[in-house]
Amino acid sequence: MTQHTVKAYGDELDQLTAEVARMGGLAEAQVADAIDSVARRDVALGRSVVERDARLDALQREIEKKAIRLIALRQPVASDLRRTLSSMKLATDLERTGDLAKNIAKRGLILAEGDPMQPLTRSIERMGKLVSMRLRDVLDAYAAGEIERAVAVWNTDDEVDEHYNSLFRELLTYMMGDPRTIGACTHLLFMAKNLERIGDHATNIAETIYYEITGQEFTGERPRWNPDTAEDIPEPPADDA
Amino acid sequence: MTYDVPPSPVAPHSGSRLWTAGASAGVAILVLVALALYQPDLAWPLLAGAALVALAAWTLSRWSGPAARTDHGAAEAAPAGSRLDPTLLQSVFEALADPVLVVSGGEPDDIADRRVELANTAARALLRTPREGGLLVSVLREPAVLEAVDEALFGGVERTTDYTGVGAQTRHWRALTRPLAPTGDRALALVVLRDETDVRRMELMRVDFLANASHELRTPLASLSGFIETLKGHARDDPKARDKFLDIMATQAERMGRLVADLLSLSRIELNEHVPPSGKVDLARATSDVIDAVSVLSAERQVRIVMEGPETGAPVHGDRDEIVQVVQNLIDNAIKYSPQGDVIEVVVQPEVTLEQASAPWSGGNRGGGATRLPLVTPDREPGLRYAAVTVRDRGPGMAREYLPRLTERFYRVEGQKSGERPGTGLGLAIVKHIVNRHRGGLTVESAPGKGAKFTAYFPLAAPRGAAGSRDFRMTAGRRT
Repeated sequence: MTQHTVKAYGDELDQLTAEVARMGGLAEAQVADAIDSVARRDVALGRSVVERDARLDALQREIEKKAIRLIALRQPVASDLRRTLSSMKLATDLERTGDLAKNIAKRGLILAEGDPMQPLTRSIERMGKLVSMRLRDVLDAYAAGEIERAVAVWNTDDEVDEHYNSLFRELLTYMMGDPRTIGACTHLLFMAKNLERIGDHATNIAETIYYEITGQEFTGERPRWNPDTAEDIPEPPADDA
Repeated sequence: MTYDVPPSPVAPHSGSRLWTAGASAGVAILVLVALALYQPDLAWPLLAGAALVALAAWTLSRWSGPAARTDHGAAEAAPAGSRLDPTLLQSVFEALADPVLVVSGGEPDDIADRRVELANTAARALLRTPREGGLLVSVLREPAVLEAVDEALFGGVERTTDYTGVGAQTRHWRALTRPLAPTGDRALALVVLRDETDVRRMELMRVDFLANASHELRTPLASLSGFIETLKGHARDDPKARDKFLDIMATQAERMGRLVADLLSLSRIELNEHVPPSGKVDLARATSDVIDAVSVLSAERQVRIVMEGPETGAPVHGDRDEIVQVVQNLIDNAIKYSPQGDVIEVVVQPEVTLEQASAPWSGGNRGGGATRLPLVTPDREPGLRYAAVTVRDRGPGMAREYLPRLTERFYRVEGQKSGERPGTGLGLAIVKHIVNRHRGGLTVESAPGKGAKFTAYFPLAAPRGAAGSRDFRMTAGRRT
């Protein structure tokens, strides 16, 4: 990393990075705890996830304020500017991730009032674990500044989509089999959707890291397809990234 | 970057300052006493002044005494430690089995200021922090632990925090944070991480095992007791029916036996999942051995097995029995789902990168090809190479929505029957856990009507080529 003549400038940049990393840790924990609270029907844990979301919001505001202050006072250029801008972008992604985790926890609280739905919450747990791993990988890549790792996360986005699709099917089967479960299944469906969106945020973060380090847009076709309508629409011809 | 001011060589330290004060007091007393001798009428006030100076000097020496003594003590402590070996403490710290970090912090609200001052070998390997003086948040993000570190640094509170690390293998950690005596203006704290995975895993396992096993054993057991009842009643004197029932009962008992065997081996593998295997196995030879062993079964089903690739020369880290079980389960499945008279291809690739091992065989997910899905992905380690074994059948195949759940225990793809030799539903679960334990990977590629292809890959025992230098285990093994 380049040295700055003004020590305070370098410190401020470091602090920005550190705050993003800390926020990442918080978001990670929120996602993991939200899934845990659903899987174990742990009402207290679910409530604490909902409460802790405010801290993520506060951190995001803090990071934004600091970044703006840094831009105004130091006029960063080149890699410093990218670092500043990407910290703002990452903070936004992480804040959204936290919101989605909060939503999962809230739905978990509602589910905890009903009967246990063991096999389905298991599927959610499995998908949640996958998404948590992607989030961890991408944040590790950020902390260590490894492009390779970030790109690997970006490349494996379809894994989450496959899980989502599988869960979607499973839930449909359940709902058709026993209409009384429709309420609970809908909550689970939204949870799955939220997890899928968290996966997308992890992909966004990977793109931002790529931009921060290389200064270039990440080009390449994102491996994506729409799971909701996939059965009706023929898949586009192959061009893999 | 902070500017440390080195002590000036001419600056007095507290000991010499004391000496100066004592000397000047002595001179002052002498002068006063001499004056008193020459001026007898002023003798009393002068002597009183001398006494006052003596008293002041004595008080001064009493005050700065402890400080001077500490200086002295510190100077003595160093030789006491070095009586054994000056680097002993250092090497003990490095050799500690638990990851240990010394963290420093300047100001409570500046989180960029929490730095790792020291990290022992275990901590560097776990947190992948080769350099010392790195940011704490970039190696340890868990918010609960960060909070505990803050409390230790600025509140002087000692505590333990439990947290779970996600990864290919879930690990449960307990972090002990304890305040240390500060140096200069920076507060210090000690962080010790302890792996609690085994304890937690045992609890979880017990619950899971009981639930699954009792459920799956109930079905054959119910049919057994049903037939026993019938044999005791109506069918007692009917030899034809009795033989038929006994045959069914034997099949059911055999099924139960297989199930129990599979459950036991699954639970054994799961318990070992966090202990990396220590032996070395030749994947190619293990594969050809398995093919020989299943030749009876494949002949029975009139299925031909074709092996491509070398017969030996793919050494991987692993437990031989377990590697054989992986190949065996994959080939067993292929035989079960293959139509009569079909061919199963088994391909061994002795050296591939992670990308090659998990790469799609044909066209990828789109373009009408088969769906490919990684079922187990190892944690990335740069430069590591793998040996892969691929088993491909031309059976009915599976739709993409079933693929993510294949390695679940007792999961069955809807509407599929595995022929006259029903499986236990645990085969792929066992494969998954073995592969995971070996830090390898497992990929499936399939589409309805297009057969299925399973690839298992394991890290090579002797990484050739440009591996090595960035492999953290080598860093961990290095002497520091």
